[in-house]
This record gives sequence, C-alpha cells and structure tokens, in this order.
Amino acid sequence: MKFSVSKEKLLAGLQTVQNVVSTRTTLPILSNVLLQATDGQLRLTTTDLDVGVSGVIDAQVEKPGATTLPARRLANIVRELPAAEVQIEIDSKNVASIRCGQSFFKILGLPEEEFPPLPKFEGAKTFTIHQQALRDALKKTSYAISTDETRYVLNGILFSFKENKLTMVATDGRRLALVDLEVEFPRSSEGEPIVPTKCVTELGRLLGDEGDVRVSVGDSQISFEIGGTLLVSKLIEGNYPNYRQVIPGEAKERITLERETFLNAVHRVSLLSSEKSNSVKLVFTKNNIEIAANTPDIGEAHESLPVAYKGREFSIAFNPEFLQAPLRALPNDEIFLDLIDEMSPGVIKIQSPYLYVLMPMRIS
Amino acid sequence: MPRVIFHVDMDAFFASVEQRDHPEFRGLPVIVGSPPDQRGVVCAASYEARKFKVRSAMPSRTAGRLCPHGIFVRPRMDAYRAESAAIMEILRAVTPVIEKVSVDEAYLDLSASVPPGGDPDAALEAAVPIARAIKERIARERHLTASIGVGANKFLAKLGSDFRKPDGLTLIRERDKVEFLKPLSVRAIHGVGPVTAQMLEAKGFATIGDLQTRAAELPSVVGSFAADLQARAFGHDDRPVDTSEERKSISAENTFLHDTDDRPTLRAALKEMAADVAQSLAGHELGALTVQVKVRYRDFTTLTRQVRMEDPVTTAREIYRLAQFLLARDRLVTGPLRLLGIGVSTLVPPIRRQLRLPI
Repeated sequence: MKFSVSKEKLLAGLQTVQNVVSTRTTLPILSNVLLQATDGQLRLTTTDLDVGVSGVIDAQVEKPGATTLPARRLANIVRELPAAEVQIEIDSKNVASIRCGQSFFKILGLPEEEFPPLPKFEGAKTFTIHQQALRDALKKTSYAISTDETRYVLNGILFSFKENKLTMVATDGRRLALVDLEVEFPRSSEGEPIVPTKCVTELGRLLGDEGDVRVSVGDSQISFEIGGTLLVSKLIEGNYPNYRQVIPGEAKERITLERETFLNAVHRVSLLSSEKSNSVKLVFTKNNIEIAANTPDIGEAHESLPVAYKGREFSIAFNPEFLQAPLRALPNDEIFLDLIDEMSPGVIKIQSPYLYVLMPMRIS
Repeated sequence: MPRVIFHVDMDAFFASVEQRDHPEFRGLPVIVGSPPDQRGVVCAASYEARKFKVRSAMPSRTAGRLCPHGIFVRPRMDAYRAESAAIMEILRAVTPVIEKVSVDEAYLDLSASVPPGGDPDAALEAAVPIARAIKERIARERHLTASIGVGANKFLAKLGSDFRKPDGLTLIRERDKVEFLKPLSVRAIHGVGPVTAQMLEAKGFATIGDLQTRAAELPSVVGSFAADLQARAFGHDDRPVDTSEERKSISAENTFLHDTDDRPTLRAALKEMAADVAQSLAGHELGALTVQVKVRYRDFTTLTRQVRMEDPVTTAREIYRLAQFLLARDRLVTGPLRLLGIGVSTLVPPIRRQLRLPI
C-alpha cells in the first residue's frame, strides 16, 4: 500500500476520527485508525466498539491496500510534519514509512484483519434531517443528559420519531430538556432509540451548517451519514421513562426575560452561592425579580431585574448551574419563564418548540 | 495538660454474657455463632474455647472440628446490645468524653479528671484508681470482666487493654512507651493490615523496634502512610476521643443455607436486606451517599463494590436498585454465592434540597 496526500487533509481526516479512540484500552487494535486506500481515496476509520467514525479524504493512491496505525501517534506526527505533501508506504508487515520533506518516520501498525468492522445496516429505518437543525437541537438538549451511571437509560438523548416529528429529550431526573423537529417519514418508521452520550458528543462535532444528515436506525444501532463521514453507535437498551408526565400543564405566572441579562445576573449572584446549598433564590415582587445567594461565614450577593410582573409575591430557589445551562445554549434574545409555585417545576420556553423543565430546590 | 486515655474492652463479650446467664456453661468452651453443622461463622469464643484455637469470624464448621466439645450458642444480639448499653452507662458516669467503638469497647478521655500538673506520668498514675473502680463496678453490677489500657493516647491505651487479657489493667507510662513498643509486631499498629504487614516484613520490618531504628526508610516502603507509622512506632497518636454518636455505616448480610446463584433467591435476599438497611436509616433519621454490595463465593473470596450518589439515598427501593446495579455492572454473580450483603455509608441528613422530577 502506497499513497500521497496533503498534510492538511490527512490531519483534518485524522482529527475527524481520533476522538473515538480510547486512551485506556485492553484491545490495542482499538487505539489504531484503519486506513484503506482505494482509487483516489483514503478512508480513515476508528471505533471503541460502542461508537465508530469513518471519513474519506482525497489521496493519490499508487498501490491500494489497507492497514491500521496508532491513531494518536500518527496524528501527532502529521501535525508536526515540515512540508505540504506526505507520502506513506506500508510494507507487508504493516510497518509504515512516512516521508515528508526531509523527515522520515517509521511506525509499526497492526493488520487490517484485526480491526473490528463497523456494523452494517440492513432494513434499517432512514430519516433525513437538516444538519444545522439537528446540531441546534443537540445543543439545546445535551446539557441535561444524566451522568448517573446507575440510570443508564438516561445516559443519552431519546430520539422519538413519531407523527412526522422528531422529539429529542434529555433528563437527569432534576431537569429535562426537549426539542421538537419537523421530519418527514412514513408511519412504519416510527421508533424511539436512545442515543448514548459519546455518540451525541461526536455527532455535535461532525454536524455542519449546510446539507442534510441521513440517519439510519437499526434494532440496536444507529448511524449518521454526513457527507462522506459515517458515525455509527450502539443504542442504549431499555425504555426511556415517560417524560410527558413531568411536563407541567398550565402555568400560573409567565415572566418574559431578556436571556442574556438574566443569564449574566444569575451568573454573578451564583458566585456567592455556597458549595453546600448551591442555590440561588428568585424573589418575585411587583415588576421586579431579585436574584439572591448567600454562603454562611462568607457573604451574600443580590441583584434586581426589572420585569413585567403583576402576580403574587413569592420566592423560588434553583441550582444556578441548572438555571444557566439552557440560557447559555439558547440563541434567542427573549425567553419565557413559567412558574406555578415554589415547590413545582419551573419551565423555560422560547418561541420555537423547545422546553426546559427544572425542579426547584427547597428554600432552607 | 497531659492526656489520659482509657481503652475499655470487654473480655470475650458475647461468650461471657452467655456464661453469666447460663451458669452451667461456666468453665466450658462456649462458641457463639452458627451451629457447627450449618453455614455461618463464629461471632465470639470464650477463653476456654480459644485454647482450642477457635477465633471469631472463623467458619463454625472449622470451629466444630477444632473444638468438638464446644458448646455452640446462637447469638442473642438484643441481649448483648442491652448489656452494652448498661456498661456504657457505667462508663458515662465516669466521664462524658467517651467514644463507643463497638458494642464491647470504648475510649474514655480522663485528661480533665486527674489533678492538673505538668508531669504526664504522674497524671497517668493518678488515673489508675479510676480504671480499677470501673472494672470493679462492671464486675459487681454486671458480673462481667473488662480489660483496661491506660495511656497518653488512643493507640497506647488500646495496646494496654490488649496486653493482659482477661480482667487486665495495664498502664503504659510515657517514659516506658518506646521500650514497651519495641518487641511488638508491626501488626499491632492500627492501619497495618495483612498487605502492609507483608510489605513491611518483606523489607525486614518485623517488630515496632525495627520501625523505630529504621524510621527513615519507611517512606520508600509504605509511601504516605510512613508519617503515621513513624509516629505510632514512637508511641505518638493525636487522634481525639470522638464523642459524636454518629453512625458511620449500616449494613445487612445473609449467609445462605446452601451456596446459590438462583436469581429469585438472590433478589429476595437483596430486597429484604435493602428493607432492613432502609429501616435502620429511617430509625437514625439518616440518608446515605454510598451504597455497597458484598459477595462471598464458595472459596471464601469476598468482594465489595460501591457507588457514590449525589443525593442521599433513603428508600429500600433505591438501595435495592443500586445494589442490583452494582451486581450487574461488575458481574459479581458469576457462580454460587455463599454470602450476599448490602451496606450504606457516608451517612448524611436525609434531605434532598434539590427536588426531583417524578421520572
């Protein structure tokens, strides 16, 4: 196998796939990137057995073939190479000779046969979604994914394909983020796969602004095709909890807030929320919200925001991190905060189909 | 002010209570625990049984073999707890500065109970009559014997109570402590378990005397534990007598009549233990941040696995769920189990300030 490729393209190709490579692995082959040189193309593939990524770059292929090389080491070498053009030649023992300008590197690879193939999808349900829309929806939900390994069904995003709608849901049992996207598909394609966090992260990195992503859902796997790049992942097995039941009905109070002003105020005040209680209090009075926090023996902070509010006076406390997360993720200038009372969930909404349900904290 | 610490240790506590309550057992080898023809272990052995090398935590079957004429008695935990409460009452009358270590031992801080003065050994000597009075009162009122160690810190007091058992009273003076420690095994130091002991012994540290003469070498052998070890080797220990009544952990375990990997049996046992532990938590008005499972296989290999939560766990359902999670995550049920247990620790007030979605 022998090919020449531009340094820039090779590096970009490696960066697309190398995130999946795990640093601590018992299987050495999983640290390697599979390189397949065919006519005018070099395909790069990595996997950790749960998630796999495969991408293609242009190359001048002199002798087609395939091998695997240590992914991170290869990327580190390519990054430092002195010239624009790289020539790579692999011998029958999977030893790679890398030539670039006056530099020469020799690294040892493993045979391609040892590399676990990415799963094939046959008879899978397929969906086409605009890249930017999906990326935007991931951004609006992924921060609410649970990291509690004891509730593994929550360690990902639910992709609920129902009634020509993709509803994406993430929750950690304290807050829940939900986005609806219009997607067209036949009734027979309805389904509710749960996509694990690692795949969500990779997907977020791979999605761009233009063009579509083709989603294929199998029984236990999902794939995303973005241009020439393919992302494949195992699905989380199990049933996602009934999230509809935690979305509150009619709100008692709706407050319209300038997102950035509110975010900055919460952020400032949270500097004085104690590590132990970790809460900020919102005190609603006529046309005003006071945001307050205090830490015993350290100090306190409060800040007032003028708002249009005519409802009853009351206070509610939230974890400041949970309150800020959606405010950071949303692009809108204006958000709505719907509240019922101090012990009921608050809901953040925007003009488009999105909602964020957040449970309050007990005020001590 | 010089410190004066007592370590009060009841002699063969469970077995002694049985011998007291059953005069016909007196002078005979009494073994408290499961019968020798059944599963389970020895909880306590009388001094007569110890002559046959019967030790607590040993399988009852082994004990039966070592001591064929042993009198096996089922433990009466309620009776021992009640007895323990009566003894702690006697100790509390001496000083309120008391740390109950377990059902049959406690540390007392008598520093404020002896005449003030600069000389540490004079203070310790002045406390000996108090120790004698405690032993007498326990013997008179409870018809049981205790061994007491008197020293300037917890480490020395504990060594003292262990030094001459049963019915002992040992004073370790400050001026004698380094000599007293010299011949003792490194294993006498709290924190030196079998693994550390082996590490030390492999490097030629057999006695505390070895630690004293080669203290400078310790960091290369035991790393960060070296500082504590050096301090103990010379009889230093500044741990206070901890008077807080805090529970540190709650656990339940079950030795099966026959080794089993039958899922319904294991689930039922787990569920029952989760309920027991949850009830204890509720009784102490506590929640737990750490949940642990313990499994013991046929060959007595014992494994524990734990998980740390962000919010306190309080309900049987949650404890059961987490125990199941641990067993599944670490694939612990690979063969028949002899024992299965659940424990909770990092106990905190059972308050969830962050409310949860009903999901």
